[in-house]
Amino acid sequence: MRILIVEDDEDLSRQLKQMFKDAGYAVDVANDGEEGHYLGDTEPYDAVVLDLGLPSIDGVSVLQKWRADGKTFPVIILTARDQWSEKVAGFDAGADDYLTKPFHTEELMARLRALMRRASGHSTDTIEIGDLTVDNRAARAFVDGMAIKLTSHEFRLLSYMASHKGRVISRTELVEHIYDQDFDRDSNTIEVFVGRLRRKIGTDRIETVRGLGYRLIDPNGNVA
Amino acid sequence: MAGVSSRSLVSSLVRGAAIWAIPVLIITAITLTLVYRNTIYRGFDDPIESAVTSLIASADIDENDALRLNRVPLDPRYQRALSGRYWLIGYGETTGVITPITASRSLSNETVTLPVSAIEELTIKAGEAVHTVVKGPDENESLRVVARQVILPNMSRPVIVLAGADRRAAMKSVHRFGLIASSLLLILTGGLVIAVYTQVRVGLRPLFALRDKVADVREGRDARVDGDYPPEIAPLAKELNNLISHNKTIVERARTHVGNLAHALKTPIAVLQNEAQMGVQIPSQIVARQTAEMASQVDHHLRRARAAARGQEIGVVTDIDAVLDGMVRTLPRIYRDKAFDILRKGETALRFRGAKRDFEEMAGNLMDNAAKWTTDTVIVTTLLAEDDTQMLITVEDNGPGLAPESYAEALKRGARLDEATPGSGLGLAIVYELAEAYKGDLVLGKSALGGLKVTLTLPRAKD
Repeated sequence: MRILIVEDDEDLSRQLKQMFKDAGYAVDVANDGEEGHYLGDTEPYDAVVLDLGLPSIDGVSVLQKWRADGKTFPVIILTARDQWSEKVAGFDAGADDYLTKPFHTEELMARLRALMRRASGHSTDTIEIGDLTVDNRAARAFVDGMAIKLTSHEFRLLSYMASHKGRVISRTELVEHIYDQDFDRDSNTIEVFVGRLRRKIGTDRIETVRGLGYRLIDPNGNVA
Repeated sequence: MAGVSSRSLVSSLVRGAAIWAIPVLIITAITLTLVYRNTIYRGFDDPIESAVTSLIASADIDENDALRLNRVPLDPRYQRALSGRYWLIGYGETTGVITPITASRSLSNETVTLPVSAIEELTIKAGEAVHTVVKGPDENESLRVVARQVILPNMSRPVIVLAGADRRAAMKSVHRFGLIASSLLLILTGGLVIAVYTQVRVGLRPLFALRDKVADVREGRDARVDGDYPPEIAPLAKELNNLISHNKTIVERARTHVGNLAHALKTPIAVLQNEAQMGVQIPSQIVARQTAEMASQVDHHLRRARAAARGQEIGVVTDIDAVLDGMVRTLPRIYRDKAFDILRKGETALRFRGAKRDFEEMAGNLMDNAAKWTTDTVIVTTLLAEDDTQMLITVEDNGPGLAPESYAEALKRGARLDEATPGSGLGLAIVYELAEAYKGDLVLGKSALGGLKVTLTLPRAKD
């Protein structure tokens, strides 16, 4: 899963980036409204954390532009102002949730997970595919109740595929959703990661659809 | 402000007086002169008319058909040549020239030429006196003439009997009167304007004094606008004093808040500084605890500072529909994990007499609470109070509600200005405090829906 943070305070954005990385997400950071708008417009994020008081273009305008351009990714707004008129303006512009500074990072994390879960149609943080369990909250995976050791890239790959279980996901889509902007994107590495992941969770759980991509399935049960 | 000109009071009062006084005085001068002239001229005409009458009475025709006067007018001026008093009896020609039959000696054989129109008038109004002005025998003489055309017994042709007098002296007198009257009235006008100006300056003196006092207050030389003012200005001075002390209270409160906040932050800062000195690493739970404390202090004092300025804004009006509709739109998105309806009932287009931010805070907190606790329905009702300077906003939900014995506790003020204990519980206390600042009220009760019903009373702006 890939997240965009638009926040002009460098300390806060650094902290958030670290926190989200630790939790197993690919993270991009924009420090002003213009850059934030550009990234949101060009990259396929799974969720966005948007500060309202931004240099160059304010947060509400950025959000309005995205929504006008048909971007549907969930957006959570951060602001220091706790007035209702700001909340109303934020939601009217198309926000999905709202958090007032100062906030606890766990709360931001929980709300963002809830937004992404809702966007992909799951009701809990834990996704089960047969006896494979992906716990997005703890950033861990289990097979038959046994914890599997995964690197952060492997977990991201698994988590994204789990969120879209049963659907064929192209290599390009995987690249876009598990690497952040700074990563050197060689699409061959996806195959390497898929290979490693197969070895850890079982080869038959990831199906290769020739010419289209990969699909996470329950080898013992129904695909849908 | 509408209807009040920004022009100087002194100049507009003086101007007003002048606009009224000058035309009145001009009309007076003209009227006086006219009345005087008429009087003079009437007095002037009377002896001429009686001279004509007596001439006619004394005229007689002798056996030779010649005109003869039984009695010649006695005034010696009729004897002296070109004396300015003349009489003449003769035949009127169509050219206006009178062919004399007999005349006063003063005419010294000259005759009088009447205007053609006067000859015609004499013929039409036979026997009646006709007044006119003609050139006299003397140089530049302006002769007032009274003439009558009569047919004397035994005479076949009517004769014109006329008497005249030089009226230059009378005209001069009228002119002089006009001049004197105008100059007197001019002086009167000037005096009047000066008097009004002086009166206005003197009358406005307390206002100028008040202005100086206000300047003193602004520049810190004085704390209040004191002094004895006339009853017209005393209320203004009183209002100014109220405004000054009100302002002072707000500034002092703001200062108290800044002080309270600064002091409240000093303790956590001190703890963190001490920890930093004690070791290389600060235990994260200490940082977390102290920053949480700081955050809650900042939050608390921001609310307090806002509350302090509340109810103070003058002339601000808020359209409550926009705020309530915004909340109705937004709350379901905030609590999107549960399905509930927010219904608006009652009157629309009510307006709150106060700041929008404050109304948002009150309505927002109440509706947010209701949305938090409801499982199905929230009803927001807006009504006019019995006293139509107020309105009622009730928010009801079907949540668990509050026990009646905890109502008082829920509304209890969190902390006074001089205390520094944050914590606002349901947020009802904040709303209560705000409503009180606007001289409104907040009452808790049980809703027919099963949950809490809060009734907020607020001042209403009339149209």
